[in-house]
Amino acid sequence: MNKSTRSVMTFKNGIYPVYHGKELSEGAATRIAPLLARYTVPVAQNAGKPPEVIVKAGDKVKKYQLIARASGFVSANLHSPVSGEVKGIIEVPGATGVPAQAVEIISDGLDEALPPLPEIDWKQADPKELLDRIAACGLVGMGGASFPTHVKLSPPPEKEIDTLILNGAECEPFLTADHRLMLEDPHAVLAGAAIMSRILGIDRIFIGVEMNKIDAIEVLQEKSASYGVRIVPLKVQYPQGSEKQLINAITGRDVPAGGLPMDARCVVQNIGTAAAAADAVIRGIPLVERIVTVTGPVVKTPGNWKLRIGTPVIEAVRLAEGVTEEPGKLILGGPMMGFSQRSFDVPTAKNTSGILLLSQDQAVNYESGNCIRCGRCVQGCPMHLMPCALAAAIESGRFDIAQQNHVMDCLECGACAYVCPAKRPLVQHHRRAKAEIRRQMQKK
Amino acid sequence: MKYIELAVGAILVYNFVLSRFLGICPFLGVSKRLSTALGMSGAVIAVMTLASAITAVIYKYLLVFTFNGKTYDLRFLQVLLFILVIAALVQIIEISLQKSSPKLYQALGIYLPLITTNCAVLGAATLNASGGRSVLDATLFGCFSGVGFALALVLFSSLRERLELAAPPRAFAGTPLALVTAGILAMAFIGFAGLC
Amino acid sequence: MIQLVIAAVLIMGCLGLVLGLVIGFFAKVFKVETDPRIELVTELLPGANCGGCGKAGCSDFAKSVVNGENPPGKCPVSSKEQITAIAMALGVDPGSAFPRRAVVRCGGDIHQVNRKINYNGVLDCASANLISGGPKGCRYGCIGMGSCAAKCPFGAIEIINNLAVVHEELCVGCGTCAAVCPRGVIELVPMNSRVHVYCNSPEKGPEKRKNCKVSCLGCRKCERLAPEKFKVEGFLARVDYEADPPPTEEDVEKVGCPTGALLTASRHYEIETFDPEFSIK
Repeated sequence: MNKSTRSVMTFKNGIYPVYHGKELSEGAATRIAPLLARYTVPVAQNAGKPPEVIVKAGDKVKKYQLIARASGFVSANLHSPVSGEVKGIIEVPGATGVPAQAVEIISDGLDEALPPLPEIDWKQADPKELLDRIAACGLVGMGGASFPTHVKLSPPPEKEIDTLILNGAECEPFLTADHRLMLEDPHAVLAGAAIMSRILGIDRIFIGVEMNKIDAIEVLQEKSASYGVRIVPLKVQYPQGSEKQLINAITGRDVPAGGLPMDARCVVQNIGTAAAAADAVIRGIPLVERIVTVTGPVVKTPGNWKLRIGTPVIEAVRLAEGVTEEPGKLILGGPMMGFSQRSFDVPTAKNTSGILLLSQDQAVNYESGNCIRCGRCVQGCPMHLMPCALAAAIESGRFDIAQQNHVMDCLECGACAYVCPAKRPLVQHHRRAKAEIRRQMQKK
Repeated sequence: MKYIELAVGAILVYNFVLSRFLGICPFLGVSKRLSTALGMSGAVIAVMTLASAITAVIYKYLLVFTFNGKTYDLRFLQVLLFILVIAALVQIIEISLQKSSPKLYQALGIYLPLITTNCAVLGAATLNASGGRSVLDATLFGCFSGVGFALALVLFSSLRERLELAAPPRAFAGTPLALVTAGILAMAFIGFAGLC
Repeated sequence: MIQLVIAAVLIMGCLGLVLGLVIGFFAKVFKVETDPRIELVTELLPGANCGGCGKAGCSDFAKSVVNGENPPGKCPVSSKEQITAIAMALGVDPGSAFPRRAVVRCGGDIHQVNRKINYNGVLDCASANLISGGPKGCRYGCIGMGSCAAKCPFGAIEIINNLAVVHEELCVGCGTCAAVCPRGVIELVPMNSRVHVYCNSPEKGPEKRKNCKVSCLGCRKCERLAPEKFKVEGFLARVDYEADPPPTEEDVEKVGCPTGALLTASRHYEIETFDPEFSIK
């Protein structure tokens, strides 16, 4: 490790994936995807309560028209990505493996949009007005968790917030969507950051970017001064882009076990969300499209596309001119935390950052062995857990022990399983235990 | 200095369970959970200390006495008397435990009354007798021996709690593996030999 | 010599008396009321601690029986003789629990099911179910990794060709398996019902057909031919377990289920254990 990287901010533990795969698509400028004939827009695109569908079969909709209304506070609006006719509410394969409800819209080819909402002068506007606009435009966390943005931006009054952190780490291998966004639209990102900080009423704003995106750091640094945003270069380390690790790397604070970022006086947002917030406030358009990286060693021309939500994955792969060989695995999201899919019919959503096709060699079957107690998983765990001990307890059905040892704090980042020389399915064990413990808690 | 020697000797070097191999029954029986092992340890320490003290007094002043100018030597009664005293003590502990901590009482189950026939307690009493210790020394020896038993039990139960999470071959699971572990633990305690 | 004997007797006697008095005192002070009947009933119960009665274990159930909270017959595991013995010991009415039995409502063993997913993880049903719904094509059928078999206190479930199969002579209907199954494939049915629909998928017929050769297609043939015994809900036929008399082998033959999802328990067992390549055609 040389001197220059030692001074770069980072968190403790974590891993260093050897193969980044970002070179496949980081040079490809974002292209606008052509209009498709059919979109299947999943209804539940936010964490919390799914919104309530307000269109029915046969309805004519326009682009940006509301098709599902938020059904509570922790819920988000959903807008049509295209103009056309609603064919019905159908069942599509969901990203997590469970079938999901989706609104099927047949495009009329005209792509007529509703007039955008009036621009808000965010430098003078009331924070409440900005927050309402963000809620109306159906913004959710675009990094993966898809938590409604307006909820994150309205912390309970007893929590003191002093820092806003934008997450541009993009620590997952292969993904380059955020990288391209920072390069191509830095003003949207920075304006979004400023809007969010105005809502929160704070002026400490950081954007954390990993050092493998030097060009993005330079572009942002050049323009950041006028927005009052500081750009923080971060070490290339996984999972740098996880909320709690990012807070630790940038502010040195620790989020208490079982706590939320606001317990460390921080709010963390994805940069994609920030850009969407700028779009919502300045251009007055709701969130109906996002940059998606379509990549993988078997994809003919990997790249980044601006896809409308509800684009079936098969269409996105066609945009990338298909595959060179039979793929071994389809993953939505990155290779570390993404969900592997059964079907190419699964539609993209507001939180789909990447479509990854691995080759059959990469999707190898491995045999998992016994724990050899090397402790690499303990070294790798960014939450300072002991994955090996947790897995041993879970394997023998002792979820109580796992709970005592804080399995609920597991991020499921996959660092432990990645470094395990015995190839033990540690994350799967943890997920099982978390599901089981949650079930038991609900019962009580 | 003498008392330090007594303590080190009773707890580590001549550990009742791991060097003298006395009191193996509760050692294996109640070592499945650390919490019950701690409860059992407390009960054994109490019984051993009290039994050592009382038996020392009886042995010293009751078994050999002079009456009407004639010396009576009743030391052949010692085993009978010791058992009687220990049984009574265990009975008292059992009754009070049932009232004060029914959960522990249930967890200890049959092993609690079995302290009566626990060779470790009787062993402490007879060792005191044959060693010719004073009442204070005998009481301390009993207490330290109890602590030694507790140490062995706590170590062993912690090991067994860990073992429970392992997946050994089926033939080894449970008691066989516990016995192997106990043997290795005993070997480890040989390392203390010669300390005093 | 005689003096020595007298001294020994005296000392033993006095010490015994003193200790007896002390114990007596303690017993008086620390008196705890216990009901010896609880212990008796616990001993008479099977001691499997399966939880089939809804209590934490056999001794907990014994307590509730003695308190009169539950009749002894609530124990699903005990035989009639055992329950009568408990009832006689307590002098209460034995009461009755419906003797039940577990049925794995899935016939999708490895030869019938489309296994297009390359699953390479923990061999445990609950874990597999969390990953994109497990290795089999069908999201409602038996995953076949044996979580239920591992938990069954009576060893009554065996995994044969990736499908949980109940050995009926061993099953006592405690319901432990039904509680651990992440998909709820296992159902507890009355002991005397001999006919079951071995499918649990509410999906549409063609969807199911894609995944499994022996699924219930929801063709309603059974409902048409024996409406008092079979009901089709959505796309899935169900046996009406309340029907009197219960469906029999003749009913199965009369219906002639086109995929073989509707079977008698004995025929299902025979297929799974001896005739894995079974096909209706």
